[in-house]
Amino acid sequence: MQAAPNLIFSNTETIPGMTITQSLGVVTGSTVRAKNVFKDIGAAFKNIAGGEIKAYTELLQESRNEALFRMLNDAAARGANAVVNVRFATSSVAGGAAELLAYGTAVVAQ
Amino acid sequence: MAGEEEPFVGLIIAGIVCACSVGPWLLSLVATFIYQPSKQKVLLERESQAAIKGDVISTLSKPFGDREIKQTKMLMASVVMSPSWVQMWIGGIMSLFGGQINVLTKVVDWARREAQQRLREKVEEEGYDEVINMRIETTMLTTTRGGKDKTSGVEILAYGTAIKY
Repeated sequence: MQAAPNLIFSNTETIPGMTITQSLGVVTGSTVRAKNVFKDIGAAFKNIAGGEIKAYTELLQESRNEALFRMLNDAAARGANAVVNVRFATSSVAGGAAELLAYGTAVVAQ
Repeated sequence: MAGEEEPFVGLIIAGIVCACSVGPWLLSLVATFIYQPSKQKVLLERESQAAIKGDVISTLSKPFGDREIKQTKMLMASVVMSPSWVQMWIGGIMSLFGGQINVLTKVVDWARREAQQRLREKVEEEGYDEVINMRIETTMLTTTRGGKDKTSGVEILAYGTAIKY
């Protein structure tokens, strides 16, 4: 994975301490990830005991970062220097696969 | 000799079958009542340590006061929790009667607290003062087995905008 473009992003409507001068529209980034079969077996065992399943936590974190990275790339391509009102959405597409979506509004802030 | 050995072999096979079917449930029972509470106790300790300094996370969309803000960053913390077999079984029976299902409430509540606590720790780690506009999102993770969707866990994501004064 390449380094993410150096953009400020926030889930508030404005970036605290900055003023927004221009809105560049909605930017999105998404990824569909499936679980690893081997990790799945480990998770099935962990399911007996309950509690945290670290393999899934890591997997989802990784995929969410990927979605965020794509969103930021989209914003950078439009010439934005910040993304505001970032939201996340998750949906399961097929059994075992999930789509992670990150979206927000690309802006120019000073 | 062969005739004497046969019931012995049968006993071993019966023992293995018994251990394979009862073993996981026994493990699950132990995990539910010993392993999980011990983990929850650790979380409670972390929470009470963080509470001494006052809560750094809030759901307000703007920070309090007019202090100058130097830096902002969005932070995320997530956790995937799964109920144990015993908890799912109890939950299945309790859902016949309706009402609150205490065992499952406990697991989801635990996951939510864990995610928030991780966010608090992350804020401290990265050197920020406060998190505003914190949101919590819940996702069900399912596995498909034999055409049926089975719950394999619940993911809780807590995210917000960290600010530095």
